[in-house]
Amino acid sequence: MEKRQTVPILTVENVSKNFGGVQALRDGSFELNRGEVVAIVGGNGAGKSTLAKIISGAYVPDSGCICINGDEVKRSDHSVSYMQTCGIEVVYQDLALVPNMTAPYNLFLGRIPTKWGIFVNEKKMREKTREVLAQLNVTTVQDLSQPISSMSGGQQQSIAIGRAIAWGSEIVILDEPTAALGPNETSEVEKLIEDVRDKHGTSFILISHNLDQVRRLADRIIVTHHGITSQEFRRDEITSDRLVKAITLGE
Amino acid sequence: MINYFKIIKPSISTKKIEKLRDYVPFIAIGLVILMFWMISGDRFMSVRNWTFIAQQTPVLMLLAFAQLIIITTGSIDISVGSSLAFSAFLGAIGMLWFGDVGLIVGVLAGGLVGMVNGIIISLLKIPSFVATLAMLIIVRALVIIASDGTSIYITSGTGASGGNITSVTAPWLLSMGKFPAIFIIAAVVAFSMWIFYEKTVFGQQLRAVGGNEKVLRLVGINLTLFKIKVFAAAGLMVGLAACVNLARAGAATPQAGMMMELDAIAAVALGGTPLTGGYGSVVKTIIGALTLTIVRNGLTIAGVPPSWSQVALGVLLISAIAISLNRNKIDVVK
Repeated sequence: MEKRQTVPILTVENVSKNFGGVQALRDGSFELNRGEVVAIVGGNGAGKSTLAKIISGAYVPDSGCICINGDEVKRSDHSVSYMQTCGIEVVYQDLALVPNMTAPYNLFLGRIPTKWGIFVNEKKMREKTREVLAQLNVTTVQDLSQPISSMSGGQQQSIAIGRAIAWGSEIVILDEPTAALGPNETSEVEKLIEDVRDKHGTSFILISHNLDQVRRLADRIIVTHHGITSQEFRRDEITSDRLVKAITLGE
Repeated sequence: MINYFKIIKPSISTKKIEKLRDYVPFIAIGLVILMFWMISGDRFMSVRNWTFIAQQTPVLMLLAFAQLIIITTGSIDISVGSSLAFSAFLGAIGMLWFGDVGLIVGVLAGGLVGMVNGIIISLLKIPSFVATLAMLIIVRALVIIASDGTSIYITSGTGASGGNITSVTAPWLLSMGKFPAIFIIAAVVAFSMWIFYEKTVFGQQLRAVGGNEKVLRLVGINLTLFKIKVFAAAGLMVGLAACVNLARAGAATPQAGMMMELDAIAAVALGGTPLTGGYGSVVKTIIGALTLTIVRNGLTIAGVPPSWSQVALGVLLISAIAISLNRNKIDVVK
């Protein structure tokens, strides 16, 4: 397969992170290929969020290295904005959106297009928003002048995912993307993730407590246990029982 | 299967009520005008009185704009009254030293106070209420120290000024404080403020910060710098208000602007802007400032003693907010 020949889009090697005396992550390692969905699962405090925050740039690792497209990220560069320029975006569980603002403003948060330097280019925002929503096959969001607080949780999360992919990002970290959503909205968002992966070849890192969801979406599953990325499974080789055992007992 | 979680959709009538809330400031000002017209008749509804109201409102309106900028981000600035006295005083000093253009010193002084507010709040991470309360006290004290308790007068040059009175001759400034000029200045500033608040990226970011500050940090906006800019912008508006007040009052007094911070907040609130941030309207803030001025004016004309008119203003404020804000949407009231 040709995918195998190319360099992984993201390589995490022996990354460790301490908080005070607590070792949150020890020698975490994994690879992410283009267009792949890798899930990170584990119990509370197993280090999965720490790993995600290191990749997003929010935490700087104590040791180990991260390579994007084969290039190592220098420790001095390691920050959220640097990772964004490398094409890494995060979708948070608590819908990191501004509720009182409209869908276009949320999509363009921090990147509002301007006219003459200071004025908002609303027309461009609306056009791009429609484009992104069409790409995502989101048909439920019609009225772009409504604040998003009037939308359903699923629609809001679509916009959050739209924001993550609208700017050509290659790796999207999904931090419990459906934890705040109901069952219908969850399947809506899951479908959206698969669509985006198929259409844009975006790679996803999925952090989830929902093991069924993980088995539905992920190509590979990485289990963290007590701060160690203890095991890795392919989707087709794992059963629920095996996964639960790996998470709870680390075996 | 019975659907126990049937969603009750709001009927059309409640939606209409929701829509109506948006117009409460306009309805309120209409009722207030009607009421005073009925009580005082032509003494209230005269060209002379409305000219007076048009002269009274601009200073409050500009202070309310400054407050609106800050309240939209979810913060508050209660130092604007002291800042007004400080800016007016420095504006007068500037004119003593540099002539007419020295008035700009006053505007910049307001910006400086705002910037210091912003630095205290964003770098020292002190809540805006406490930080600006401290600045309210400090800046007022600075004005009293610097002025030694005396005032600087603006004269038209015709009257003889003598003795140990400090004065600046600037008839143009005094004419700025009179009806047609002050109204035009107010209109120009109001229009610029509307453009700034509704159409610029900065104006929209004010709302975003008020809506969910954490998210803006996640998308990589430097909030420390942004907040300093917000308070500095509001400070410049206070500086402008101080210059207009200087023109109106004809003097920079150490007591200028006392309690004006509360009027400014009240005007914003009367305009239906929630103090929790995220929302706001320039037009309704103008209406709020106008309502406040009209009520004060109307009560005076109706012969209500000043203390009782304060009570009436308080009641008006509470009722206007009770009606205009949909508190179902607010989870926690603090």
